[in-house]
Amino acid sequence: MPAKPPLHTEEEAEAFLQECSAAGLLPCIHTAQLQDYILDLRWSPDGTQLAALPSTGPPQLFPRSTAFQPVPESGHPACATWQVPPAPVLPANEPPKPDPSATAHKPSQLPPHIPANGTLAWSPGGHHLATFGQDSILRIHPITTPGPARTLQLPRGWAERFAWNADGTRIAVAIAKKIHIIDTATLEIESVIDALGATISDVTWHPTLPNQLATASNGGTRIWRLGDPKPIAELDQGVAALHISWSPDGRWVVTGDHTPSVHLFDTKSRKPLHIQGFETKVKSFAWQTAGAKDHPWLAVGGGTLITLWPCFGRNGPRNARPIQLPGHARPVTALDFTPQDQLLASGAADGFVLLWLPHHSPGPAMIAREDHEITSIRWAPDGHHLAYGTANGKIAIHQLLTESTP
Amino acid sequence: METTAHTKLPVTVLTGFLGSGKTTLLNRILTENHGLRIAVIENEFGEVGIDHELVINADEEFFEMNNGCICCTVRGDLIRIIGSLMKRRDQFDHILIETTGLADPGPVIQTFFVDDEMKDKLALNAIVSLVDAKHILQHLDSCEEAVKQIAFADSILLNKTDLVTPAELDALEARIKAINGVAKIQRCQNAAIPVADVLDIGGFNLDRAIGIDPRFLDPEYPFEWGGILNVPAGTLTLEATQDPDPSMTAVLIPAATADEAALTTAREQAVRAFSHDPAPAPIGTALTADASPHDLILTDAPMRWTCEIETPGPLAIFTQHYPEELAMRFLDSHGNELHPTIAASYKPDHTHDETVTSVGIEADGECNEKKLNTWLFKLLQERGTDIYRMKGVFAIKGHQNRFIFQGVHMLLDPADGGPWGDKPRRNSLVFIGRDLDRDQLNASFRACLA
Repeated sequence: MPAKPPLHTEEEAEAFLQECSAAGLLPCIHTAQLQDYILDLRWSPDGTQLAALPSTGPPQLFPRSTAFQPVPESGHPACATWQVPPAPVLPANEPPKPDPSATAHKPSQLPPHIPANGTLAWSPGGHHLATFGQDSILRIHPITTPGPARTLQLPRGWAERFAWNADGTRIAVAIAKKIHIIDTATLEIESVIDALGATISDVTWHPTLPNQLATASNGGTRIWRLGDPKPIAELDQGVAALHISWSPDGRWVVTGDHTPSVHLFDTKSRKPLHIQGFETKVKSFAWQTAGAKDHPWLAVGGGTLITLWPCFGRNGPRNARPIQLPGHARPVTALDFTPQDQLLASGAADGFVLLWLPHHSPGPAMIAREDHEITSIRWAPDGHHLAYGTANGKIAIHQLLTESTP
Repeated sequence: METTAHTKLPVTVLTGFLGSGKTTLLNRILTENHGLRIAVIENEFGEVGIDHELVINADEEFFEMNNGCICCTVRGDLIRIIGSLMKRRDQFDHILIETTGLADPGPVIQTFFVDDEMKDKLALNAIVSLVDAKHILQHLDSCEEAVKQIAFADSILLNKTDLVTPAELDALEARIKAINGVAKIQRCQNAAIPVADVLDIGGFNLDRAIGIDPRFLDPEYPFEWGGILNVPAGTLTLEATQDPDPSMTAVLIPAATADEAALTTAREQAVRAFSHDPAPAPIGTALTADASPHDLILTDAPMRWTCEIETPGPLAIFTQHYPEELAMRFLDSHGNELHPTIAASYKPDHTHDETVTSVGIEADGECNEKKLNTWLFKLLQERGTDIYRMKGVFAIKGHQNRFIFQGVHMLLDPADGGPWGDKPRRNSLVFIGRDLDRDQLNASFRACLA
C-alpha cells in the first residue's frame, strides 16, 4: 500500500496516482440519488456528516459513518448504493420534526425552500446547519441538539447566497442589492448594507475577523466592515464579479467575473491584480493551505485547465509562473484541496472526477466518470473521504485507502 | 454528456413599447391551457408560481463586456436567473423574457450570444415585438427604443387593430416593413394570438427570414400608395387635415379600367412621373390629371386641392405617403367621398426618412471564404454599432453545406447550415440597422463572390 501524501519525489507521486487510477485507492464506497441538481455539498466541521443541497427538494444530511448501508453494485464491489426515500411534502415554514433515526442509519431530510434552494452552510462549530433559498427564508437547524429549526423570513428578492462569519455570531444574506446581517443568537436583522445599487452575486466573510465581509457584484469587489455604511475597500473592476473567495490567511480576496477573468485584491498592500485568458467563466476556487497557512496556493478552474497561483511572498501571483493542469475535456466546475496535504480533487462538465498532486505530477488519476456534470466536490476534514455531486442529483463518496485505513 | 443541441431550452424575448399589450399577452400565456410549463422573467424582484408557470421578477442590470465590442452590453440579471433556472431545467419547457416598455432589446439578445453557458444550454427562439397600432407612429418618431424594438424582432404582433382603419393598418405595416423587412407580422386585437404562435417561432430560420415576405427583396417605389377612383365629371377635391411632413408628391393618371391590370400599368407611368421634379402645389392649386408630379405643400391649416375632370371614368392616383397619414379624402363635386375601387401599398424607397432600415441581398454563385471572412470582420468592426441584427446563408466555394450566421451588433454566430438539398446554391443575407448604405453593402458583398 503506497504512502498517503505528502510525497517527496515525482516518482512517488506518479506511483501514488497510478495506484489511485489502476488499483482503486480511492474507491467509491457509497452513492445516493437525490431528485435534482446538486447545488452544494458541505461536510460538517468534525467530518461526521455530509449536508447535500439539491436545486429543488429537501436538503439531505448524511451521517458519514453510519447512514450508508452498503449494498454492493454488480461489477464494483467496493461501491455501495443507498436509495433516498421519497421526499416528504412539508409546508415551507414548518420546522423539521426531530428524526430519532437520523443519528442512526438514515439521512435526515430538511424542509425544502420553495420554489428552489439556494445555499447551505454549517456554523463554525458544527452545531447548526443553515439553509437559504429563493423563498428568502433563512432556516437554522440544530444538529447536535434536538429541537426545531429557527426561521427568519427576509424581504423577497432574487436570493441565493449567504455566509456564516468566523465566530458564528452573524450570517450575511445577499438579497438583490442589499446585504442583511443576521444576529444568529436572536435571529433578527442586525443591519442592512446597501450595496451601492449593484445586485450581489456572492458574499464571503473574512476567515478570522468576524466583522469584515466581501461581496461580488456588478462593478467589482467591495469589502465591508460592520458598522461602516460605506465599503472599506472598493475595487471598481469594470466587470461583474460573480464568485468570491477569501484566502484562509485573510490576505487575498479573489473574484471570478463574466468577461471571463479573475481579480485578486491584496488586502495587505491594497494592490489589485487582474488575471485574464481563461476560456470560460471561473466557477471554482480552492485554496491549498497544507504546510503553512501563510503560504496558500490558489487553484482556479476556468475552462478545461486548472491553474495554480502562488499567493504568498511580497508579490503573490504577480509575475509568478503558475502551475497548469490540463486533463479535463470540458470546463472545470468544482475544485477542492485536502485540508492536510496537497491532494487536489477536480470535477468538470465532462463528468470526470480527477485527483491531482499538482506540485509533483502534471498528470491526474481518474477517480470517477459520470454521465453528468460534476457540480460540487468536497474533501471531508479528515482528508480521507471525498464527496461529489452531479447535475442529475447523484452523490458519491469515495474513501482514500492508505496505510492508516483500517 | 448531456449538453447537445437537442437539449437546448427555447427562449422567447417579448418586447414592446409602453401600452402595447405585453401584460395582456403575458396574462393569457400564464392562464391559458397550452400544456407548456413556462418560466416567465419579468421586471421586478420576486418569484411567484402560477399553476404550471413560474413568474420571476428580475431587475434589469447591465454588464459591459470588455471584449473589444464597444456596443456589447449584456443583462447580468438574466445570466444569474437563467443560470439558476437551468439547474432545475426539467421543470420547464420554455423561458419567456419580458423586457420593459422602454427597453433596448439589444442587451437581452447579446446575452445569448456572449455568455458561454447561455449559448451552450439555451436556444434563442425568437424576439417577439408587440406594437400598439393606434399609438406606435408617434413613438417611432420620437423614441429610438421603439424603433429598435421593431428592428430587432423576428415576429411583430400588430395589436389593437380595432382602433385603426384598415388603411391605417396598411400604412403602419408598410412603415414597420421599412424598418424590419424580414419580421413576420401578425395582426391582432387584445393580444389574442395563439400562444403557440408567440412561442413557437422556430428560432433562427433563414428560409423564413428570407422567404416569409416576398416583397422584402422586391423593387422599391417612390410612392407608398396607389389606387383607382371612379370619378364623375366635375371638380375632384383632395382634402387633408394633417401635415406629418412639409410636402407630399402626388400624381394623377387617367386609367382605362379600375382593375389590377390598369393599376399596374399606371404604376409604371407613376414611377416615371415621380422621377421628375414635382411642381409646387400650395393649398388651392388646381392639379392636372396628366401624369405630372405635384408637390402638395402641407400646412397645419385645412388643405384642399382640386382637379377638373372633363371625362368621367377611372383615375389612378399615386401618393408619396399613405393618404391616411394626412387624413386625406377624395370628394366629388357634391362633396361625396369617393373610395378607391382598387388600391395597393408599395415598398417605399424613402422609408419615411427612416434611419433604421433593412437591407436584403441575394446573389447567385459561390463566395470566396477568405474574402467573405475579411468582409464580415471589417464590416462588423466598422459598422457593428449600427447593425442591430443580421442573418445570412452563404454558398462557399469548396464547401458542400450551407454556411449560416446570425448576428447582433458586433457579435456573430456562424454555424453549419447542413446540406443544400435540392435548393439552389444562392447567397442570401439581411441587415437591419441604422444608416445602412444599400448600394455599398451590395457592392462590397458581391466583391466576395468567387
